[in-house]
This record gives sequence, C-alpha cells and structure tokens, in this order.
Amino acid sequence: MRRILTSVFWVLTLSESVIAADVVPAVDRRFASKTAETPSFQRHVLPLLGRLGCNGRACHGSFQGQGGFRLSLFGYDFEADHKALTGGDKPRVDREQPEDSLMLLKPTQELPHKGGKRVTVGTWQHRIIQRWIEAGAAPAKDDDAEFMTLEVEPKEIVFQKLGESKPLKVIAHWSDGTQEDVTPLCRFRSNDEATASINESGIVTATGKGDTDVVAFYDNGVAPVQVLLPVSDRIGPKYPSVPTPTKIDELVVAKLRKLGVVPSDLCTDEEFLRRVSLDMTGTLPTPREVTDFVADKSSDKRRKKVDELLERPAYAAFWTTRLCDLTGNTESTGPLGGEQALNREKATQWYLWIHRRVKDNVPYDKLVEGIVLAVSRRPDQSFEDYSAEMSAYFRKDNPVDFAERDNLPYFWSRRTVGKPEDKALSFAHAFLGVSLQCAQCHKHPYDQWTKQDFDQFTAFFNGIRFGDSTRDRETSKKMSAAHELVGDPDSGTYKRKFQSLLEEGKVVPFKEVAVPVQKKVAARAKSAKSNPKLGRVITPKLLGGEEVIAGEYPDPRQPLMDWVRQEDNPYFARAFVNRVWSVYFNVGLIDPPDDQNLANPPSNPALLDYLTAAFIKSGYDMRWLHREIANSRTYQLSWRANETNQLDERNYSRAVIRRLPAEVAADAVELATASAEERRQLDEDPINTRAIGIVNGHVGAKANNYAATLFGKPPRQINCDCERSNEPSLLQTVYLRNDEEVLKRLANKHGWLNELYREKNLDRDALIREAYLRTLGRPPTEPQFELARAYFKESKDNVSGLRDLLWALLNSKEFIVNH
Amino acid sequence: MLQPITHCNPTLSRREAIASSMIGGMYWSLSHFLSLSARADNQSPKAKSAIVINLGGGPTHVDSFDLKPDAPAEFRGEFNPIDTNVPGIQISEHLPKLAQCADKFAILRGVSHSIAGHELGTAYLSTGNRPVPSLIYPGYGAVVSKELPGSADLPHFVAIPETPQKPGYLGVRYAPLRTNAAPKAGTPFSVRGIALEDEQSIEQFEKRQKLLTQLDTTFEGQAANSKLLDGLDKFDQQTFDMISSPRAREAFDVSLEKSEVAEPFGESKFGMSCLLAMRLISAGVRFTTINFGGWDTHANNFKSCKENLLPQLDAGLSALFNTLATRGLLDSTTIFVTGEFGRTPKINDKAGRDHWPRAMFLLLAGGGIHGGQVIGASDANGMGPAGDIITPDQAAASFYHSLGIDHRKEYHTATGRPVMIVREGSVIPGLFA
Repeated sequence: MRRILTSVFWVLTLSESVIAADVVPAVDRRFASKTAETPSFQRHVLPLLGRLGCNGRACHGSFQGQGGFRLSLFGYDFEADHKALTGGDKPRVDREQPEDSLMLLKPTQELPHKGGKRVTVGTWQHRIIQRWIEAGAAPAKDDDAEFMTLEVEPKEIVFQKLGESKPLKVIAHWSDGTQEDVTPLCRFRSNDEATASINESGIVTATGKGDTDVVAFYDNGVAPVQVLLPVSDRIGPKYPSVPTPTKIDELVVAKLRKLGVVPSDLCTDEEFLRRVSLDMTGTLPTPREVTDFVADKSSDKRRKKVDELLERPAYAAFWTTRLCDLTGNTESTGPLGGEQALNREKATQWYLWIHRRVKDNVPYDKLVEGIVLAVSRRPDQSFEDYSAEMSAYFRKDNPVDFAERDNLPYFWSRRTVGKPEDKALSFAHAFLGVSLQCAQCHKHPYDQWTKQDFDQFTAFFNGIRFGDSTRDRETSKKMSAAHELVGDPDSGTYKRKFQSLLEEGKVVPFKEVAVPVQKKVAARAKSAKSNPKLGRVITPKLLGGEEVIAGEYPDPRQPLMDWVRQEDNPYFARAFVNRVWSVYFNVGLIDPPDDQNLANPPSNPALLDYLTAAFIKSGYDMRWLHREIANSRTYQLSWRANETNQLDERNYSRAVIRRLPAEVAADAVELATASAEERRQLDEDPINTRAIGIVNGHVGAKANNYAATLFGKPPRQINCDCERSNEPSLLQTVYLRNDEEVLKRLANKHGWLNELYREKNLDRDALIREAYLRTLGRPPTEPQFELARAYFKESKDNVSGLRDLLWALLNSKEFIVNH
Repeated sequence: MLQPITHCNPTLSRREAIASSMIGGMYWSLSHFLSLSARADNQSPKAKSAIVINLGGGPTHVDSFDLKPDAPAEFRGEFNPIDTNVPGIQISEHLPKLAQCADKFAILRGVSHSIAGHELGTAYLSTGNRPVPSLIYPGYGAVVSKELPGSADLPHFVAIPETPQKPGYLGVRYAPLRTNAAPKAGTPFSVRGIALEDEQSIEQFEKRQKLLTQLDTTFEGQAANSKLLDGLDKFDQQTFDMISSPRAREAFDVSLEKSEVAEPFGESKFGMSCLLAMRLISAGVRFTTINFGGWDTHANNFKSCKENLLPQLDAGLSALFNTLATRGLLDSTTIFVTGEFGRTPKINDKAGRDHWPRAMFLLLAGGGIHGGQVIGASDANGMGPAGDIITPDQAAASFYHSLGIDHRKEYHTATGRPVMIVREGSVIPGLFA
C-alpha cells in the first residue's frame, strides 16, 4: 500500500496534465515511457491480464489451466493468481532475471505461446508487467486499500447519427480516497452490438437505432452506460403530444421521447378485455362478457373491469401458479423414504397454501416470510404433537386444512436443495431474482459477485436441515414400532404402509425442517474461522450488504429476512415487481427477469425504481401492483405499430404479440369449446378443474397435463425462469391441428357442440359470431362473416360447418397469442 | 471453444487419457494409449439416424450380458452363459437370438457411475452429463434433432411410447412426439396428431386448412417483425405437410409391414415398439427412442427375467438388428441400449437384485461401430469395473461421434452460459471398426 501511495504521489507531482487534481492519470500514459513507478498487482497487473484475455475460459482461466499455468477464471482470486505466477515448479516470474520471466517472453511470443501474441515489447502493457517483476512481483496485501466503486463518464450517451463515436472514461475509487483513471485496464462489453459497439479502448460507436447499454468491468466493479440513437426525428420539440395519465405512462414516455419513438394508439375494448383477462386471470372472456363490456358506455369501465378480474377465482389460481414456479413446487423433487408417497399431496398442499394467501391478498413480504423462515414444528411443539399435526393433514376422513398453517416448510425439504449452496442458489433465484451460479465456482463474469461473496452468503443456510428429528429419535422409533412400520424406508412396502396408516388416520413420525439451536451456530462460526483451506473467515454476508454475526440470531435466516424487508434492499421487491411486469409486457424491465446483475440494467431504471418504491409503500400489496400496471395507458396500447415503433420490443411503446403461457394455452382450448355448464365449473373452481390449478405441481402420466407440458410448462426443477417456455414448436401446432384431445372437444358428444347438436333451429350468423367471440374475443369482420357464411353453405349442416370454423379459429395465430 | 491441450488428437485430451488410465490403478503405456486413440480417431461418422432403447428400472447385468458363472452362489444367479456367433463371447442362455447376431453389436461391460436413484441415474444415462441442480441437460433425441434436421414432413424425434429424455436448455422445439402407446400386432397403428382416420379425412383436413388460411389474416405482414409469428407460420406449413402426406402416417402403421418381416419381432409391446422404430427409421425419421420398463427387479429377478424381460428383449432387439442389417440400414443407424444402472450382484432375500450403478452394461451397434466385440470388463463378481472404467460420458461421446456430432460443441443456455454437449466425454478407444 505504501508503495502505491508513493508512486501516486510521484505521478501527481510530475504529471502536468492531471484531469482532476485528485485523479491519477491512466497507466497507458504513466507507463508510456521508462518509469520508476511500481505497478500494483491488484490494481494494474491482474486487470491487465484480464484485459489481455489471459484468464478467459479458453485460456489460462480454464479449470485445467493451459500449458501448465492456470489463473482464476475472470480473475479476482488475487492470492491464487499470485501464487500461480510466482510459485510452482515453473514460476512465470523470474525475480532474479526479470527479462527471462515467462510472463514476458510468452505473451510477446519470444517463446512459443499457443495463445498467440498478446503484448509487444516496449509498450505500456509490457512495461507494467516488467516493472512489477523488477520491483519484486509483490502480491496484494490484506491491508491494501479496498476497491470501492467504478465511475464512468459520461453517464449516458445520446447519439445523433449512425457511425458517431464517443469515448468512455472510467475512474476507480479506492477506500483510501485515491482515484485512478483505469480506462485502459477495463474490459468492455456492449449488450447489443446491433445498436452500439464498444472497442477495447472504451470508444462507443452507434451501429443502429434504438437503445442499449455498454458496460465497463474493472476489479469487481461493473458500470453500465445507456447508449441511444433516436429512431426517428420526432425528438425534442418535434415529439407529438402523448397522453400520460399515470406515473407509469410518464416514465415510459420520458424515455420514448428521447428515442423518438411514438407510442401506438389505445387498443380496442375487445383487445383490452381479452388481453387483461389472459394476463391477469389466464382466462378467455365469455362471449357475453365481451358484448357487455363493449356495450358499457361508462368512461371508467376498464378500471372497473380490472377490479372485477382481481376478485375472480382465476386470478388467485393463475398467480398462485406463478408463485409455485418461483418457489419450485413439484412433486418430483419431494423427499424420498416413507414420505415419498405423499409428494403429490404435498405439492397440492403447497399450491393451496400459497393460493389462500394470494386470494386473501396477504402482503407479498408476509407470504415470503412464511416460506423463508419456515420450520416444521413450533418451538413449543413436542415431536408427538408435530407428527400428529402432520398426520392429520394426510388422513382420509376430514383432513385438517394445511393452508391454515402459519408456514410452508416444503421449500426447504426439496431434494434439490440438500446442500447449503443449493439453498443459497434457490433463495437468490426465487426471492432476489439474482443468479449466483457462476460465483459458486469463480468470479461472476458480468457481475460483482466473487466466490467469497457466494461462500459468505451460503453461510446463512449452513444450519438449515431437513431429515429425521435428531432430538427425538427414540420417540420416532417407538411411534413406528407401534404400527409395525419397519424395514427399509425406501422400499415400496414401507412407503405403501406409511401412506395407508396415514389414510386410516394413524399418527406416524414425520421428518422435519429445523434450524440448529443457537449454541451450534456459534460453534460453527468458530470452526469456519479456522478453515485453513479457505484461509479466510466465512462470515455470513448479505449480498452487497453487511456481514452478520449469525450467532446472535436463533435462526440465521432471520437477519436475511430482515435485510430483504429493508426499504433499500436492492433486490427483493424489485425482483417481484419486475417479474409481474414481465407477464404483462412480455419482457421484464430487467430481462431475463431472474438476471438482476449490474451489467444487465433495467431498460427503464426510473420506472423500475418508481414501481418498486410504490409497491413497498403499498405494503407489498400484490393487487395494487396488478392494478397499477393494468390501469396504465402503456398497458392498454394497441399491438399495431406506427413507423417509429415497429421494432420496439423493450420500451413498451406498443403491445408485443406473445404466445399464451403453457397452462393458459391448454385451458383456452377447453374454455373456447365449453358448454355452459362446463364453463361455469371452470370459472368457479379453477384450482380443481384447470391447468392453471393444482395439477401444475403434479407430474407423470396421470397428471393429465400433456398439453401444458407441450406448450412449455416449467418442470420447476432448476433455478431459472427460463424453465417456462413461450416458444412455439412443431408439436404444439400438430397438437392444435389434429390431436385427439382437441378433436374430442369438437366432437358432437362434448362441450358447446354437444349442446347445439340437440338444437333444431340454429341461427347461422349467431353461431359464427359466438365462435369468434369464444376464441378471439371479438366479433368477425364483415369479410370474415362472408367467408364463414359461404363455408357453412357448402357444409352438411350448421353444426358441421361450425365445427370446421371452430377448428380453424382454434388454429389461428390470433387464438394462440395474446396481443 | 476450449482448446484441447494436445494437438495430436482431438478426441482424447491428455488429461482424459491420464485420468482414465489412472482409475482403477491401471497404467497404460503411452504407446498403448496412442495406438488406441489413433483408432478412435480415424473414424468418419457413418450414421444418419439413431435408436436409443432405455431399459427403465435398471437391467441386471450379471443375468444378461455380463454373466459370472464362476462366482459364489450368492452372486452367480440361476442362469448359464451360452456361446454366441462370435467365438469367445458369451451371454445369457435366455438371449439365444441375440447370441446368434452378436457380431452385429458391441457389448460394453464395466460401465460405471455412482448415482443409484432412478431419476437422476436415467438423466445421466440419457445425456452423458452428470445431473446438476442448476441446469437440465438435453437428452440424446433433442441434440440429434437439433444437429441433424430431418425432412419436413416427418417428426424428427419420436418416443415410443414415451421417454424420460428432456429437451432441457435447448427448449420445447426439440421435444419428442410421444406415441403414448405401443402398437399391437396386426392392428393398424396411428399416433396422436399424425392420424387422419375417423375424425378427419384428408379431404376434410385440407378443407379446414383452407378455411384457416383464409380467415387467419389479422397479423398479415407482421411476420417480418415478430419471430413468434414467423415461427407459427413455418410450423403451420410443416404440420400441414406432415399430416397430409401419407409418408408419416404409413411409417407409423406397423400393420402395413409384411408378416415375414414383422414376425421375428414377436408380439410383445417391446417387440412391436422395435418394429415401429425400424419402420420410422426406414422412412427417414432421425431419432427414435423406445422405453422398455420393468427392469427394477428387487424381487423375483430370475422369474421376471426368464419369463418376461429377457425373451422380449431377445426377440425385439435381435429382429431390429437383423432387419436393419438386411435392409442395409444398420451402418447408417446407431443403436444404443442401456438402463440407468446395473443391479447388485449379490442376490437379496427376495430372490431379487437391487440398484447398482458401479457396474452395468451397455450395447452399441451400427453407425460404424465394430460389432462382435466386448469392451471393458467387470470384476470377478460383477461388483465394479475391472481395469479401465467406462463412463456414461464416454458412451455418450461415442454415440454422438458415430453420428458425426462433435460432443465438445458448445451451446449457450438462455442466460448465455456456454455448455458443451458432453463435457467430460471422450470416444471409447477401439469401439469403431
């Protein structure tokens, strides 16, 4: 550290062209010619190696190394990297004869180097490495100043024309107050090369119309800069007057104004009703509803419809499905052993537990708390009472309602989260919308997370375990013995016996999710301190936050939950707001929605900030959020583009056409062809009758969701929002065209057609109209009417004509998309 | 792309060679290694299509293709080995038909891994990648249909009647068409979605399709701006081709097959599934997989094997090899047969055998694979590999190699993470002719 300060001082006094008095000029100038300065390993040498690509995964960052030399992938393991350079059988650094160092001879190709020529002798890059070796190749030290933040100038780039360029300047801030221009040591990336490119010197060039971010990386700092080139000349004073009735609209239009993108017009009433019904309740409107809504002359009818939809059973059913996606509710990952046979029933309980809270509009943070802090038994509950409680949920006669339980422990009893690392990954994905997978093994290539951050975050989950009660082994054995429940718990006989005892209403011992008592946590923390392999203290540390003394809390997840709830928590509320937004607009403000990272900034930061803050202020009121979004003019825009916004898919200037979500698509066929009685059941009891209901946590041939699976229902087995697919596929089209399930809905024995089959006097035009209303939520246009009438004339009778028309409508693009 | 460390040999890196030669305490000489790897190398891929047969539940290796007649009674089991048409190779007496065509397939013994659960074990053997919690790897069918696109009027990936394979991070586009049932002997067979019999005649289908084309005009001219609409249009055309052309329909209908061809397959579900797979491959379908369950023989292993499982396997699989060979299709079709693990060589108290991933067998045939050989071995009692281990990763790499697919090719997941098709694999030395 002292050496750095000295050299800084030296530079400051000698250099005449310091930009700001306190910013150290960039290394490419300081090392341009012979110098006495000693570069720092952490500040200069390693960033330079990163910049030269040495620690990339195809080179020495590969886990096997390359040519017998390995660096930590994407850098940041200063200790290991220093050791790799200076130690081993074949050190890359020769302190005695610096000029003979492999670290100089290889990248200059004075000795053969498979990675090619990376450095030229006599350049500043060469000189940095050379000077570092000459001065003794010192490592980073524990008392070195810490890297604080990265600051980029300018904060935003607005280009005027294609091909225009602008340089970035990147300043690193250190904990001792020093600042240095690190532009030549940064790695740069453009998030969309078709809009803006950035070269290795940090010069940004406009390559296309629209907006994106370019990102600078240095140390564990990540700094994005928004770059935009207006799409049209309708900017500034030339921008037309656009209504912005809500805060969302104001913030959306504020950005569109810069981009010269004019929003589309408002969508029609029919479009609005179909769109909001599908997005909010996963349900097609009925013909009657469409007609009534269009006929309603009141000016606030859209607002009233939103309120009405939020009270429908399908709203709770559909959004429970979304929350089950996030929390990973599937019978396929439930525990093994005696309880294995209960996994389907547990998936049902899981669904119903969340459903109750969505229906009652329990605040989102409360709902999550019930999952995050769950332990299987109350502190005062004996093992017998606990087992009796659990058993009562599964008995055949009069089972106790699981949704009444305060908490849902099944999130932690999944087989996929057995290890603390898995728990950390799952928690971060589900509730923070952050992917930490990369940092489990190496520095995250695009985010600030280091392996140490990951290890420290994982420490929160160390004590949470699921299994047989350790305290009550004897009681448990006795309970089993009383019912002759013996043998291998993994055998079919045992599992069947376990289940049948429960059905009979007997009490059997249950495994439990538990956290260790306080003493244990303290002991664990102590042992972690002496873990020689890591050489560092593993203190639980919040992501980007503070270290926590876990031993002070009986449950290490408590400080985590407290942190999540802080108003300035950077992830929790944001992740949820962003995910809900992405359902209504096809893309998240941050997209993909589970990839909140510094290099992937929101397309409209002000808008996400506003919604997040307001959602917290509403008391995490989920219905408020839905209402706020659906009542915005932005949500109600037409999909029809104008000449400025036809390519816009991320700034919300028009509705984006998207495929119906998997379960909604499966249900839509059913709804569109339902008899009046079927429709009533589907509307009243969606959780038991529809693909958006309980069935979505079930798997296997008996689960009856062939169609939902085909359309991309998430298996809920891994930590990724990408598990849900909205992609089209050949087999989806084959399904709609010709699958027995669909054709059955069009047969005379089922649904609407069955009702009509028995009728004598059918009004042809009314049938055509209703077929359109049922499927597309709008009446036919006049040419479409004509087409259908002509088709009916050539058909055997009205019902067979209608069957073909209904088939064609179910197979139209307009049916399978929301628009 | 990760650069292999040694330049001389793209299929086996030095690291892998060292790793494989260290396992089991066996050290290969360098020249031995080089000669083997050169053989693995000189192979140009021959196969254009593939059949993967999943023996669900975990088939018993010591009672089928890896008998231990000299093992103590508590291991040996009831069955005796018989000679095959390849001198020196013996298999179970309940596989007499396969014994007569042993020249057509390679037997891999001492295949070994450590996952004893059905689901994860199956995931491993269906992908060549040890399952991880953060990613779902695509199964063989998904990768093959991505890498080797087939004709437009045929499904690219058919599962008879279903499959545990998943498209994983490649997405639903590469999901299989499931037949949901196995054909029955002599009965017309049609598959959901492809059939046009009772409900829809071809004429009616074309009439409906015409109506659809006429009325589906709302988004006309939008396809250029929407990948979704463009995709829907393409699949519309492809679906129409597939349903309206007789090619796919007839391929599925096993009752159209001449009786002298159909007979050797037997009338069991598995036999009929093999017959269907053979017809599909002959018609030009790229990838077919058959799920043949029931191998989880914790009890009555010998009775089930003798009376049910082995005879079905014997008839169906031998007929499949022979028919493909007669038709000249064996060289252009890779066949991969295995389950998720082997079974405990030690017999349990219910005359059954339990899960045993440390030693299992795997059959590979066609696609330039040198038949009539045994690669690898298990130890005296079939407890674990004797000598070099063969991993599921290697089997997968070899499978892809036979199809000309570079198993080190990288895909990108939705989050941009680069993932190799088979990260740890390498082509099994000596497998290819």
